[in-house]
Formats: sequence, structure tokens, C-alpha cells
Amino acid sequence: MLTGTVVNYYTHCQRQCWLFYHKINLEDNSEDVRVGKIMHELKKQDKDEIALEGIKLDKLTAEYVVEIKKSDADLAAARAQLEFYLVVLHDKGVNRKGRLECLEKNKQSKSVHTLILTEEDIRDCKTQYQQIEEFLKQELPPPPIRKPTCKKCAYFEYCFI
Amino acid sequence: MGKSSDTRYIFSAGDLYQKDFSIAFRKEDGNFYIPIKDTRELYCFNDITLSTKLLQLLAKAGIVVHFFGYYENYIGTFYPKEQLLSGRLTVAQALAYEQNRLQIAGQIIKGIAKNTYFVLYHYYRHGKSELKDFLDWLRKDVSRLVDSVGNIKQLLRIEGEIWARFYQSFRVFLPESFAMNKRVKRPPDNPINALISFGNTLLYTKTITQIFHTHLNQTISFLHEPAERRFSLSLDLSEVFKPVLVCKTIFDCVNNRKIMVEKHFDKKLNYALLNELGRKVFIEAFEERLNQTFEHQTLRRRCSYKQAIRLDGYKLIKHILEGKNFVPFCMEDKK
Repeated sequence: MLTGTVVNYYTHCQRQCWLFYHKINLEDNSEDVRVGKIMHELKKQDKDEIALEGIKLDKLTAEYVVEIKKSDADLAAARAQLEFYLVVLHDKGVNRKGRLECLEKNKQSKSVHTLILTEEDIRDCKTQYQQIEEFLKQELPPPPIRKPTCKKCAYFEYCFI
Repeated sequence: MGKSSDTRYIFSAGDLYQKDFSIAFRKEDGNFYIPIKDTRELYCFNDITLSTKLLQLLAKAGIVVHFFGYYENYIGTFYPKEQLLSGRLTVAQALAYEQNRLQIAGQIIKGIAKNTYFVLYHYYRHGKSELKDFLDWLRKDVSRLVDSVGNIKQLLRIEGEIWARFYQSFRVFLPESFAMNKRVKRPPDNPINALISFGNTLLYTKTITQIFHTHLNQTISFLHEPAERRFSLSLDLSEVFKPVLVCKTIFDCVNNRKIMVEKHFDKKLNYALLNELGRKVFIEAFEERLNQTFEHQTLRRRCSYKQAIRLDGYKLIKHILEGKNFVPFCMEDKK
């Protein structure tokens, strides 16, 4: 079953997507990430995340589904993830607009992006999700393609060793 | 990476418990705090009392704890409930054992030979010409022998011969008080055997921790019989690092007189065991070596030797999952 993260990764890097989906989710070496995770674990109870069928929403309001990102490093991937949430909710009869909030804006001129999906957009998305599902059935992950962003990725060492 | 060390050693007796989000250690002369941040591994060398509440914290933080007994004997490891699990990889690892065991094990033997060669060549270059025969054998014959064998037993015989001849060669460059007549384990019978045993055990536990941070199954091994005892994959992956990490540390400590028989070994036990001071000196030197970095030739980034152990785990995963040839860490190639 697809999740928001898988859709995000598919847009970002197909190899990462395949590995992550097959639970070869390598550890992030960053100490900050680790501390964040531990705190998250220890303080789970007072979080009000909304989770259903592969989607975990940061925030849901009367008008928007809100996705919060640390930075706008890969906006297309974040957008794809948010679209996925909107489509899943749409199928449940819940119609919302999407709102992407980036805490740091490094590449874009604005930090808040709004997303409105038309019926046609939703059809296109669904076609793409079928492609992703097919892709994930492959026996092997696609070979790594070196990009500048690889350097910071948790999979870097595994991919290029 | 980048951090000098994420390992804490406890040498005194005391109580370990949780205080806020830290590990607290209460001993005779006061309380100490070990922050969770930057801690990935704990070594306990004395009588330690600890609570399940602490174990919960350690498990959540993914901190591995190794326990040792009075005679430096390894007791066991507290291994947090596995966070990294991949059914697909476990199945593939078992299949690789069925179909590809000899090849993977052979690569490990070749790796031992290469790294032994690297270590000894240093002494040969500095005038120890007696080493020539063994060096030639390592360079020219081992690889051919490995490729000609048909089963694991024959491979293990080659491995045995490498170690035996390696230990024999110690008398060429170590002082007489550390001469090696014969390798004796459990318990060791003289200072050099004690150092090798202690060093190998430390390396073995270090490797367990590194494997813990991958998806590999600790019990499916290739050179050693799977689960013959303990976590046998750790025995496999630590082999090629023994000459460059354990033995180099020993040579450094002994030849630079950082460790001396009279001062650092227990006299009562016929000098067959390091005393507390000796243990500290050795561990410090060993940690320093593990955290030393080099330029990794494939990744083109700096990498510590400890990280190199993890990377060998990644290489094995890549072999198992994607069929890439498994070549363990080689000191000469720096990869």
C-alpha cells in the first residue's frame, strides 16, 4: 500500500523509494534527527496526528490539509505527498485544499504554497499511483544515479559503496 | 561520523538508572551522568546494577550494552528490540547462505590475507627480512588456494594456517616478554594471548553494534557456522579487521612501551590477564584506532575504521540484495 512518504520519495529518488518501501530504511547518521526521534517516541502520547490508511496528516482544518516541511529543498516531492493526501481524502468524500508550509525558504520566494486539485488532476494522480505500485513490484531497486543531493542522503553509503 | 567517540566505558562498580532523559551512574564517590545524546554503546566492566526502566530508555534510544565479567570474559550484550527489520533481506540472506556461502567465505579469507600482508609488510620494509616467505605466501598462494577449495572445512584450514603463521611471526618484531609460542584461548595463558583475546572480544562486540545498525541477521553467517554460538555474523565480519585494528593496537602498545608485563598484567594470575590499568590503556589505544579516519577510495569521503565495519555490512547487504561482488575492507586499497 502506498503512503505519503513513498509517493514523496518516488518523486525525489526512485531508488530511495524502492529501498524504503522494502524496509531497507537506512539510519540517518545525524544526531539531531536521532534526538528528535527519541523525544518523539518518549512524548508520543501528547501528539494529535491524524492517521488513516497510509496517511498521517500534520494538520487538518475546515479548509486545508496542512503539510509542514523543514525546508523547501524538494518542493515537487513535498507537493506530490500532499496531493496524495488530498486524493485519499477525496475518495473518502472529504474535500480540502492543500497547504504546504516550509519552515525555511531557500529556493522559493514564498514559504506557503496552496494546492487545489481538479477532477482531472485527481485522475492523473491515480494513474501515477498505479505506475508507482508497478514499480515497487520490481525484484531489484533501480541503480543509483548520482546527484548533488545524494551527499546528504542516509542511503549515500549504501548506494555508492 | 565526525564525532570522536560514541562509546562509554564503565570500569567501576555502581548502579545505572534513568534520570530525566539521561543515564545516571551512582558509584561510591558520587553520581555521574551520561547523556543519551552522542551515546550509542556502553561497555560495563564491573558489577553493575540496573533497572528495567533504564533498559526501556536504552532500547528506545537504540543503545547497545556489552557486559564483561571479572576475568574480562564477555558475558553478553543487551540488544534493543530490533528496529531495523526487513523480511525480504532476511530471506535473501538465508538464500545467499545456501547458494553462495563458499564464495563469500572465500572473500573473507582473502581479506584476512591481504590485511595481514599489509600489517607485516611494514616490518619487512623496516628490515625484518625473515618475513619474506610468509609475505610471499600471503600475496601469491592464499588467493589461489582459496579459489581451489570445494568446501568450508578446507577454507577454515587455510584460515587457520594464516593465523598460525601470523602469530609465529610476532617474535620477529615484538620484545621477548611478549613472545608468542602458541595461541591459547579461554583462558589465555600469557600476556600476548591475553591481549589478542581481549582485543578480539572488543572488536567482536564493536561489530555486533555495527551490524545492529543494519538490517542484517546476526545469526546467518558464512565463514563460521551459523549460530554455532553467539552472533556468528559478527565473527565473520570482524575477521578482516583483526590484523589492522586489534594487532596493530597491540604492536603499538607493546613496542612503544605503553603496555608492560610487570605494570599492566595481573601478577597473581601469571600475567595472563590485563589488570584494570592495562585494560584502560589498551581500550584507549583501541578506541583511538577505531576512530581514526582515512579517505575512503570508493565513497570519496572521510571514514573512520569503525564506520568501515558498518560499510562492510552494507557491502554484504548489497551483495545479498543486488548481487554486487562482496569484497571486505582492504587496508591497502582503503575501501
